[in-house]
Amino acid sequence: MAHGIAPIGIGNEGRQVFWNADSFELFLFLFTGIAMVIFAVGLFRRWQMWTAMGKPEIRMDNVNERLKLLWRNGILQIKTWQDPYPGVMHGMIFFGFFVLIFGAAFDATEFHITEPFGIAFLRGKFYLVFSMIMDLFGLFVLIGVLMALWRRYILRPDRLTYKGQPDSTPDDAIVLLLILGIIVTGFVIEALRIHVTWQQAPWEVWSFVGWNLAKAFAGVEPGSAKAMHAATWWIHTFIALGFIAYIPYSRLMHIITTPANHFMTTLKPVGQLEPIADFENAESFGVGTLEEFTWKQIFDSDACTRCGRCQDGCPAYLTGKHLSPKKLVQDIKTYWLEKAPAAVAAKNAAAGDGKLAKLGRILDLVSLLGKYKMAGEGYQPPAERALIGEVVDLHELWDCTNCMYCMENCSASIEHVPKIVGMRQYKVLMDADFAPELQLTYRNMENNSNPWGVGSHLRADWAKEVGVKTLAEDANVEYLFYVGCAGSFDDRGKKVSIAFAKILQAAGISFGILGTEESCCGDSAMRGGNEYLYQTLAQANIEVMKAYGVKKIIATCPHGYNALKKDYPNFDGNFEVYHHTEIIADLIAQGKIKLQKPVEGTFTYHDSCFLGRYNNVYEQPRKILAAVPGAKTVEMARNHGKSFCCGAGGARMWMEEHGDRINDARAKQAIDVNADTIAVGCPFCLTMMSDGIKDHSKEESMVALDLAEIVWKAMGLEEEKAPVEVCAAPAEE
Amino acid sequence: MNIIACVKQVPDTEAQIKVKADGSGIEEGGIKWVMNPYDEFGVEEALKLKEKAGGDVTIVSIGPARAMETIRTALAMGAEKGVHIDDPALNAADAYTTAAALAAAIKGLPYDIIFCGQRAIDDDSAQVGAILAEILGVPQVTFVTKLEIDGTKVKAVRPIEGAQLVIETSLPCVITATKGLNEPRYASLPGIMKAKKKPVEAKNAAALGVSTDAKSKVAKMIPPPARPPGKILCADDTPEGKAAELAKLLREEAKVI
Repeated sequence: MAHGIAPIGIGNEGRQVFWNADSFELFLFLFTGIAMVIFAVGLFRRWQMWTAMGKPEIRMDNVNERLKLLWRNGILQIKTWQDPYPGVMHGMIFFGFFVLIFGAAFDATEFHITEPFGIAFLRGKFYLVFSMIMDLFGLFVLIGVLMALWRRYILRPDRLTYKGQPDSTPDDAIVLLLILGIIVTGFVIEALRIHVTWQQAPWEVWSFVGWNLAKAFAGVEPGSAKAMHAATWWIHTFIALGFIAYIPYSRLMHIITTPANHFMTTLKPVGQLEPIADFENAESFGVGTLEEFTWKQIFDSDACTRCGRCQDGCPAYLTGKHLSPKKLVQDIKTYWLEKAPAAVAAKNAAAGDGKLAKLGRILDLVSLLGKYKMAGEGYQPPAERALIGEVVDLHELWDCTNCMYCMENCSASIEHVPKIVGMRQYKVLMDADFAPELQLTYRNMENNSNPWGVGSHLRADWAKEVGVKTLAEDANVEYLFYVGCAGSFDDRGKKVSIAFAKILQAAGISFGILGTEESCCGDSAMRGGNEYLYQTLAQANIEVMKAYGVKKIIATCPHGYNALKKDYPNFDGNFEVYHHTEIIADLIAQGKIKLQKPVEGTFTYHDSCFLGRYNNVYEQPRKILAAVPGAKTVEMARNHGKSFCCGAGGARMWMEEHGDRINDARAKQAIDVNADTIAVGCPFCLTMMSDGIKDHSKEESMVALDLAEIVWKAMGLEEEKAPVEVCAAPAEE
Repeated sequence: MNIIACVKQVPDTEAQIKVKADGSGIEEGGIKWVMNPYDEFGVEEALKLKEKAGGDVTIVSIGPARAMETIRTALAMGAEKGVHIDDPALNAADAYTTAAALAAAIKGLPYDIIFCGQRAIDDDSAQVGAILAEILGVPQVTFVTKLEIDGTKVKAVRPIEGAQLVIETSLPCVITATKGLNEPRYASLPGIMKAKKKPVEAKNAAALGVSTDAKSKVAKMIPPPARPPGKILCADDTPEGKAAELAKLLREEAKVI
């Protein structure tokens, strides 16, 4: 005990550090040193693997913004909390450990730094509260670990599997048991100490777990208790140090990689895809090999904890397709682990005589020898596999609807969608090997600037009925109504365009369309990997829009809305872009349109992915429905950020679907809440939901309508026409 | 193997065709021009043959400057080089003159097999491939849906009404392609970029030494009359009643049965 410090006692409560373990200190330092070296070597190897492969990408800019992300998702665990059971489970372990580590740091600071100078701060009331908090958070960790074990091995939710096949590894059990071991032995040590010392230190009742556990040792001789204490102390120490040493070699690595990944999250608008810059001179397009990912895209896979949040709402996975975002990321990780050692060795060999390079080369040798040793004689490196087709199968690649559920809900901020689009780009642009129906779609977009392949001269025909002018006729308008292909060519979509145009006219908004000068927005080409076609279409639109001096644009299709708003700025197309639900909600709020005619029914709003998750437009559509007189609204179980895709995004609209249909699954969710109208804000969703209703034979009792159609009806400005009775007897004279 | 594929640039199938007021032709403004779809089957088959047997594919096309886009499209799909015959006297020629010009261009090239589409979708004449073979004095198999080549032996399948003919001949020959022969490929982006630099030789009637005197001339183009509005059968609401009414109308009004 250092001199000059008041003795521990009533009024100066405290705890003697290294009680019954005075002589262990030297060994403790020695073993801690060994554990730290093992940890450092593992981390260094991993660092080399992270930096050995992948194209460059800047993810360290704008540090303030990134620190906020780290705070939000890494420290406060906002994303993790969103699922109650796993959120609480992980929160207990995370915050528990966080506090325990700070507690240990306090102890160590006092013992090693302040006490030699005669200062002890863990004393008195502060100590009492401190020891209570430590016990409380230790208890949290214990509960969290038990919840984790229960969930992983007893409840076994689907998301911890791939199609029912559990993907637990021995590592999962080892990690949980290590934590359990640390906490249980920690409490036992405390209990044994209290068992021996409680008469001198009655305040230890504040260490309420240890205090109560100490009762279990009633009757144990102090001598035996001390021996047990010493033994448990060492067990506790070895498990704790083992835990530290094990971090870089296990899933515990996520303690480092996941917060790092939060820090390095893209700061670009949600879903924006990095354009291919130079078609003329680039040698390869898209991602065909692991090395063609950026380093960050590879690093992503090392931040994955296999939690399965992505899989839980993936429309492809939940309808029995091959794709699971979790499996995709894990497969990339496995592939990277196979390929990285050779890349690291090559980099180290080329790195010259720096100390780190030398250390790297020694470790390369050690790791290679280790492999020889483990594989017996004749170690063979893993057989070369192709990224596309073998690591990621083609079904997985094309199953994705780009719905963004995985990215929005990933608690490690992994960016799945750009990886998928990158690989699609390779298949389309390099191999020209993709679904024939999608080839037809692209040809249609090339020849007639719309995916359906309807003659491009018919693009503005819908507008004749409502007398909407083109900008060629009158460019002096406030808004350009970018109609898009569905609104121009699809019979159902045309009705939405007409309804919306009538609303704008009734509200006295000045607007025009591009007519036959309008091109397809290119979204399906971009997300289906045909970046070349997408850029051709985007540039055609931007050129026309700029020529007319367009400033504000309204789109009724969220795909066009998103492309114009987020992706066109990449090509110097900077416009203020609105979705029609934003405009309508605003017109209602300002009283420029009046919804006076009751529209009876039970409405459920289906969030379009490109409106909701991509653009955070969740409330305007709901406000519109709330303003419709007579409308009762219900929410489907999956809504807002956890909404379920209709199945048409990511160019899936144009492709054959295998297995259960995503739109049927979504329509079923609407049927389950007894809705009679599925309200949408997207023409793709409109088609998919209408088809889903038919597939469930509910077309007599249910309908899918765009919000513009509902609003136009509720405005009551137009006599509803009775269906034309073609065979009605001629009116009698 | 030296493979030739003849292609024609035609208006897109969805394009709005307007006949000029004087009936001398069609209004070309606003038309999207594409490769004749049947020629695309020919190009695809040529490329598949090259990939199997080696050699190279030459694209031959007649048309104004814009026809170069179609040649480049074929080059982007994987052909090696092109011949562009651009001569106002040939660009809208009849089937015989077209075939004669193609033959003159092809005679100057080594060739083992020539692919054409079975017809072009603009004038629908379906004669050029056949005349070309006659002028070159080589065998021809038209409307081919399946092709096998082994050495110089050629085995082609041609559908006829209710059956299929299996025709055997030998190289060199002319094959005219129709739907079912293959699925034309989508050009890769490197293919599109490389196509810009592939050689295309320019020719005209004088250089080819062909007569531009047409054997037939289009006197006048007349748009089809506007279609009369449809008719809804209302006399009887039962299927039997509707069928009886339909039969009566087809016989008495339309006079088709």
